[in-house]
Amino acid sequence: MSANASTATTGVASSGGKKDFSTIALIVGVIGIIATLIGLVMDLSHGYGRVGQSWLIGFGFWMAMLIGMLFLTQITYLFDAGWATIIRRQWENAFAAFPFMALLIIPVVALPFFVGDNSSGAIWKWMDPTYMLPGIHGHTVEHDALYIAKAPYLNTPFFIARLIAYFLVFCGLGALLRKHSIANDTAADPKHYIACRKISAIGIFLTAFATTFMAFDLFMSLSYHWFSTMFGVWFFAASMRAGLAGTVLLCNFAAVKGWLQGFYNKNHNYFLGCLCLAFTVFWAYISFSQYFLIYNANIPEETFWFNIRELNIDGTKSTWWWVSMGLIFGHFLIPFLILLFYKTKVVRARLMGICTWILLFTLLDMYWNILPKQKSADNILGYDVQQFIPNIWDLAAIVGFGGIVIWATLRSAAKNSPIPLHDPRIKESLNAHQ
Amino acid sequence: MSTKATYGLLATFSKTPEFFTATGKVRDAGFKKWDTFTPFPVHGLDDQMGVGRSKVPIFTLCGGLFGFCLGMLITFYMNGFDYPLIVGGKPYWSPVFPFPVMYELTILNAAFGTLGGMFIMNLLPRHNHPLFEYEDFIKSGDDTFFIVIEKADPQFDLDKTKAFLTEIGAEEVHVVEA
Repeated sequence: MSANASTATTGVASSGGKKDFSTIALIVGVIGIIATLIGLVMDLSHGYGRVGQSWLIGFGFWMAMLIGMLFLTQITYLFDAGWATIIRRQWENAFAAFPFMALLIIPVVALPFFVGDNSSGAIWKWMDPTYMLPGIHGHTVEHDALYIAKAPYLNTPFFIARLIAYFLVFCGLGALLRKHSIANDTAADPKHYIACRKISAIGIFLTAFATTFMAFDLFMSLSYHWFSTMFGVWFFAASMRAGLAGTVLLCNFAAVKGWLQGFYNKNHNYFLGCLCLAFTVFWAYISFSQYFLIYNANIPEETFWFNIRELNIDGTKSTWWWVSMGLIFGHFLIPFLILLFYKTKVVRARLMGICTWILLFTLLDMYWNILPKQKSADNILGYDVQQFIPNIWDLAAIVGFGGIVIWATLRSAAKNSPIPLHDPRIKESLNAHQ
Repeated sequence: MSTKATYGLLATFSKTPEFFTATGKVRDAGFKKWDTFTPFPVHGLDDQMGVGRSKVPIFTLCGGLFGFCLGMLITFYMNGFDYPLIVGGKPYWSPVFPFPVMYELTILNAAFGTLGGMFIMNLLPRHNHPLFEYEDFIKSGDDTFFIVIEKADPQFDLDKTKAFLTEIGAEEVHVVEA
């Protein structure tokens, strides 16, 4: 510990190797985003929204991770958790990515209105009143009773106003919590810690509302006939899982190669591993409850959403059925059983392995929630469903957003002290014990 | 009153670091039947004593699996076999609609397994313990650390073990008779 205490005071000096990596991340991120942008423009000019969905998958995955970290920061403040103090600085570093995420949601909302002749409903069909709804009834959005009923909430100006509000919450809270914590490094004063606790007390509600409604707006409204009050909680559960898994990977890389050497130990891994287990169960609970209630109520307005994720027109199982099974077993059962073992939570390689696994399946979960879409077709139903076919634009979007988030995080990590030096609970965190 | 036999040797310590080091030495000496008593939780004492992880989770797992299967069996027997009824267009039996039953029984039986496992692994219930014969035993809840080596330990030898305990820093060594 003492050998590394000196590096704590010179965080910038100890960041030799990671600046290069952050530059690579930036280059990869920019290339990925530009590639997806080109795809988006090409797709929209033909009136298609598939690359828009790629964009949303990449955005949703990385945004979930950042929101999870924002929740975790505020939760640890509110519970006055001592163990998490050194991890909190890594979360604060990641908050630097929020403004870029705000910037990067603009193209997917704005471009449908400017590219292509008739593509404003290509991604969110309710944005285009003249959009012909798939199905045998053959009417447009503006004549759709369900849209008319939802129009006071679901209209483009209010949608944009809400998006701005969400990002004000995320960026604002992220910046405030960062500011206080970093200011405490140079001018130590307990007032910063107290301020952060107060900000968190209000912020946790704001974050919860912003997360829930962002999930409704960006993802649930892709299929606006459907409604589920569980959907926001699903996104919260996904956020916490992605946030925890991302934290484990970030902290362990930093502990092996970077700025957390000697600070971060197996006890921190144990605590994060326990939370990973808890939220694995929570995710399953939420996802199953959503399915279970709709299955039991058996109302067509709700069940169609699960039908298009299970069946082909002839009643056989579609590709989404296999994805669903993959989620049940791969996203719940396998991580659950593996995380039950104590060794999984303290052996670095095992915890990193299972967290990588969780992240991959979080991505699959995003696909499952975002991609299935009814498209007009000449058959008895009047529509067919976009199947699970990942493409190169998905990859570009995921890698692109990832590059930007990782770059922003590493850039912040290089600028700031690796741990909050004068935090009132820093000793407790360094000596965290099971 | 039955005749008293030697139960073991009890060594007292008044400072945590000395006690902690001594614990490691007892472990290294290879004693098997021994225990420590502290007024407050001492972090890392498990590793220092060389005791492994608790076996209680195995009972929890068995209880949970039993509960899950029990829930599946109950719902299958009732809804799928004994009195099949179509409710809301659902199949007689599927793993989906009775899942809350399986899930609740998993938790209930996992909790029972944990409780039972705790009793079994701690050899509970027991009404008395030979160490209570030591009149100052209550000090282990106040300001004194104890290391107790039982006579049942294969390496136990009254004189040698007594000398060993004194050598590793025990302040007093008592012979506990019960």
